[in-house]
Amino acid sequence: MILMIGLGAAVGSIIRYVLTQIVKQKQKTVFPLATFVINLSGSFLLGMLLGLNSTPVVYKIFGTGLIGGYTTFSTFNTEIILLKNSDQPKMAMAYLLSSYLGGGLLAIIGWQLGKLLG
Amino acid sequence: MFKAQNIISIGVFAFFGGTLRYLLGEWLSYNGTILVNLSGSFLLALLTYYAIANNRWPEWLTVGLGTGFVGSYTTFSTFNIDMLKMITQNQAGLLSYFLTTVIGGLGCAFLGYLVAKQFNKREQR
Repeated sequence: MILMIGLGAAVGSIIRYVLTQIVKQKQKTVFPLATFVINLSGSFLLGMLLGLNSTPVVYKIFGTGLIGGYTTFSTFNTEIILLKNSDQPKMAMAYLLSSYLGGGLLAIIGWQLGKLLG
Repeated sequence: MFKAQNIISIGVFAFFGGTLRYLLGEWLSYNGTILVNLSGSFLLALLTYYAIANNRWPEWLTVGLGTGFVGSYTTFSTFNIDMLKMITQNQAGLLSYFLTTVIGGLGCAFLGYLVAKQFNKREQR
């Protein structure tokens, strides 16, 4: 089973990398849009998986592995430092607040939706 | 745009980062999430400002270590779900979990940046 969790994390990280490269090529602002969307959508999906009351094995492979590897906390914080160091303190603060607020809110919405469906 | 060696490197490194996160979570529960998120924020900022900013290492290695290993080792979704679980199970720990993660994550990333700056300075001499 531990092998499947690692594989899930590998797939999640590759999706994160591919999405980030595509968004970075198309976007025109310095706001870290890719990581923002990834972290919020991942929080929604993991909330939903929790609400669906899936079996522990399914939760570990798709939740801990796939979605856990898809979202990232280290990139989020490093991007805040990068924004602050490139004279964008307001955007750094906006990124921080919107990520924490949005992530928490979407986790709750996903959880409720999962409970309705499950 | 996508090099096969970068994708493979990210997948292999992320396999180990995600597995390590799972094991620490099984062992330490909520504290495991705090540990991976704080140490990972330090490591990624260090890597970004030391290796990536100066093109010290080949691209496949830095994306493997940064995007793959550390990116997969840390998690934003589990952080939110931990808090969701704490609302019903452990309200006393909720505020300290949130504050430790928010302040500690940013602090550790800043520390990683400072350490990288020191390394860079030392090597310029």
